[in-house]
Amino acid sequence: MHIVREVTEGLYWIGANDHRLTLFENIHPIPEGVSYNSYIALGEKTILFDTVDWDACRQMLENLKYVLDGRDLDYIVINHWEPDHAASLQEVLIEYPNAKIIGNLKGFQLAEQFGFHIDEEKKIIVNEGDVIDAGNHQLTFLFMPMVHWPEAMVTFDLSNGALFTADAFGSFKALDGKLFNDEVDYDRDWLDENRRYLTNIVGKYGPHIRKILKKAAPLLDQVKFICPLHGLVWRNNFSYLLEKYELWANYEPEQKGVMICYASMYGNTEQAAQALAAKLCDLGVPNVSVFDVSNTHVSYLIAEVFKKSHVVLASCTYNLGIFPVMKNFLEDMKALNVQNRTFAIIENGSWAIRSGDLISQFLDEQMKTITVLNDRVTIASHLKEGQNEEIEDLALEIKESMRG
Amino acid sequence: MFKLSQEHEDLRMQIREFAESEVKPYAFTWDRENHFPREVIEKMAKNGWLGLPYPKEYGGMGKDILSYSIAVEELSRVDGGTGVILSAHVSLGSWPIYAFGTEEQKQKYLVPLAKGEKIGAFGLTEPNAGSDAGGTETTAVLEGDHYILNGEKIFITNGGEADTYVIFAVTTLGIGTRGISAFIVEKGWEGFTIGDHYDKLGIRSSATAQLLFNDVKVPKENLLGKEGEGFKIAMATLDGGRIGIASQALGIAQGAYESAKNYALDRIQFGKPVAFQQGLSFKIADMATQIRAARMLVYSAAELKENHENYGMEAAMAKQFASDTAVKVTEEAIQCYGGNGYLKGMDVERMYRDAKITQIYEGTNEIMRVVISGHILGKPPKQEKKASPLANPQKAITGIRKKMIFKNGSAQEMVDSLVENLKADGHDFTVGIDIDTPITKAARVVSAGKGIGPKENMKLIEELARQAGAAIGSSRPVAETLQYVPMDRYVGMSGQKFNGNLYIACGISGAVQHLKGITNAGTIVAINTNPNAPIFKNCDYGIVGDVNEILPLLAQKLNTGKKKPAGEMKKIRRPIEKKEKPSYDVMVCDGCGYEYDPMIGDPANGIAPGTLFENLPDDWVCPHCSEPKAHFEKS
Repeated sequence: MHIVREVTEGLYWIGANDHRLTLFENIHPIPEGVSYNSYIALGEKTILFDTVDWDACRQMLENLKYVLDGRDLDYIVINHWEPDHAASLQEVLIEYPNAKIIGNLKGFQLAEQFGFHIDEEKKIIVNEGDVIDAGNHQLTFLFMPMVHWPEAMVTFDLSNGALFTADAFGSFKALDGKLFNDEVDYDRDWLDENRRYLTNIVGKYGPHIRKILKKAAPLLDQVKFICPLHGLVWRNNFSYLLEKYELWANYEPEQKGVMICYASMYGNTEQAAQALAAKLCDLGVPNVSVFDVSNTHVSYLIAEVFKKSHVVLASCTYNLGIFPVMKNFLEDMKALNVQNRTFAIIENGSWAIRSGDLISQFLDEQMKTITVLNDRVTIASHLKEGQNEEIEDLALEIKESMRG
Repeated sequence: MFKLSQEHEDLRMQIREFAESEVKPYAFTWDRENHFPREVIEKMAKNGWLGLPYPKEYGGMGKDILSYSIAVEELSRVDGGTGVILSAHVSLGSWPIYAFGTEEQKQKYLVPLAKGEKIGAFGLTEPNAGSDAGGTETTAVLEGDHYILNGEKIFITNGGEADTYVIFAVTTLGIGTRGISAFIVEKGWEGFTIGDHYDKLGIRSSATAQLLFNDVKVPKENLLGKEGEGFKIAMATLDGGRIGIASQALGIAQGAYESAKNYALDRIQFGKPVAFQQGLSFKIADMATQIRAARMLVYSAAELKENHENYGMEAAMAKQFASDTAVKVTEEAIQCYGGNGYLKGMDVERMYRDAKITQIYEGTNEIMRVVISGHILGKPPKQEKKASPLANPQKAITGIRKKMIFKNGSAQEMVDSLVENLKADGHDFTVGIDIDTPITKAARVVSAGKGIGPKENMKLIEELARQAGAAIGSSRPVAETLQYVPMDRYVGMSGQKFNGNLYIACGISGAVQHLKGITNAGTIVAINTNPNAPIFKNCDYGIVGDVNEILPLLAQKLNTGKKKPAGEMKKIRRPIEKKEKPSYDVMVCDGCGYEYDPMIGDPANGIAPGTLFENLPDDWVCPHCSEPKAHFEKS
């Protein structure tokens, strides 16, 4: 049975929701599921915009068949060739062998690598700025390299103002019936999963996000719908979304606040993290959150780092090094280009306390523009009552560094 | 070939006679009193020895390098200090002008140097540029007809006594040794002052001082060689200088050996001169052997230089071996003397102290081995390393500091701004500590440097200390040389370490050893007339001004009546090092996200670290996905 929603007259969402997948890209947990969005435009010609993951193929085909209602498919635009969107292309081609495929050269090269069989005469290779007349739909293309793959592009339908943005503006979380941004409480129910998607999937490519935002800016007043490949379609309040993207792409924090992450084997380091959190709250420092890195998937930690201005890393020493889960978090922050943050360090060890020096060195040498506060709390196994003052000093230093 | 000519032997006898009569009798006093024997140098000048190896047309004696080597050796045989005065004058102060100077420069500067009317010196070493001249921080900026020279040189032999200085300074920043140039600078030029005279272990009859340059105008025509040739000139000069130092070491060893031998022949134990005890006879045999070997090395290097053959390696070998010999022989000489050799007044005691420096200066013996092995092995295979040309400037010795310097406005305004900032940082001047609190336990210290002037000005320091609720401290020269305060009051690496909250440095220029004593200070305040004094690069707040004017105003401003006793010290927070974005662009590839970091370069494709993205060749492509240079984004 079909499940279809109309975006605007002659444009339909024909994607699918997935709650069965536990790990997106086989790495990021998605407890609230994910949607694979596919769209079809009907007019003098019929145009499909991207397909869906293999798992959602059957639903999409039923949707497609229903919307076409016996018509043939004329064009398929592939903006992004990652398998969670392009995997169903071959099945679509079996059903609709006359469809011509619109993509860029890099995209077709990737298609070849992934093993798609597309007849040469069916390929329409576009360059940036080309305009294709598809009946009463006029399509133009902007290339969006490294958001987050090199071939990714954006298609703009000049006739109805729909901007197909591939993974840009995408989000985790299944739609579950909703389609538009104004059908949900975005701040409450969607922002966190949107941030977690963006920062973990595209976080590294801030410069490239900035580039496409700049490129698309002149089009913006003609855009009526932002149609990403995951998550909600935006039809108003674009500035809300763009402001968030501006911060994320420039690695600027959304809020002044402190994220305390601890790696603790027996609760001793955890105690210090909790003591600091209490002290910070005592001092009136806003937005304090605490995470156990061993029990929190790193994608949540990354999302929180992008949100907050300050990060405290509290780690025990393990095999003369940083506790492995904490080390992994550091590596992930480096890979995703985290910068412009203020860090503080709490270290613990029972015979050779090394974690603080190593974390400090990592932040200084491996990451970009990270300020490390001077006061470091060093714990020999367990916090002593007399160290209350050290915790307080660290809290004060954090508070002072938040001024201005 | 292995025997000196009669002419050389005659010269040796002439100088030995002079040394025995004019130097030896006074060497003990000069050593004790740190006395520079100007009168003796003038006599040597009359004999023409200050220009021994230079052509007669330039006022020299027209003798060879070997003659010069013998002269240094013979002087050092009785006094190592006098030997190095000649060596630094001839090899370091005069030679670069002789070898690289224009005809005008030679007429103006070399002639009076060679005639001995003027004394020469050479200024390369700096606090952060010892063996590694690439760390040179003295700068010379061309402004019209003059270079403006700013910076500091340390450990300069003949410093203060010399009239003509060859000074090395950076003319192009950021390109390491290739940016260094040499200049001829005259004593007495405005802004050129002599700083600390060092209180040395040995060679105490020679003068060694710090040179300070504060906006010194050096005429363009005093550039020696071309811009950027400074490092080359310095290295060539030091190659030759090492023959001088090797000769000095040889002379010291010779003197100690002779003294020990004579004593051992005199001293009778167990019924015969101790020289005939096998223990000592073997020592004497070893000393003589080592000295002969050293002499062969030294003379052969001198001969190579005289014949214009390559001599860099041989000079380094001679310097290394002769100086090691000097240290060994002087030590054994004291052993031959027994307890008597351990006493002041014994020449071997002084020689033992004099010898040590020959292993250190004009290239340490470790650097000698670098030079020698470099000659033998060539350059090591290329190593990948993080680039230096773009590296962040050196951090201040005292760590991260605010470096807020007040230099405009009235004295009162500067003092007001300073006190306002100190209070904002949490310094409470209603409480104070006793003026006699030990430095290591003091929460605050007001410290005097040589810039404080005459002893009566210490009253200003005392008054400020009282009003600031601080103890009194000083720089080393103020305690040791001027003796204004007891020795336990001086702050520094070799003195007391300050761990408190507030350090007010008055008239302290900021020698490295002093700065190392205040690295733990919460806040450092500097008051000094010289805006280029290193203390200003190492302080949180600074006032450029005269202590006579500033200190009373500051004391008045801090006067809160009677100070309450300070409780346990609450440490004031040190400033945080704010990480800034680098000044260069890191570029990201559109095809794969690879980042080109100029600090790393792309060594696999022959791009050296330090290459900016814009300087990459046009046909350079992304090493990971072959995207062309045009498809890169600013990260």
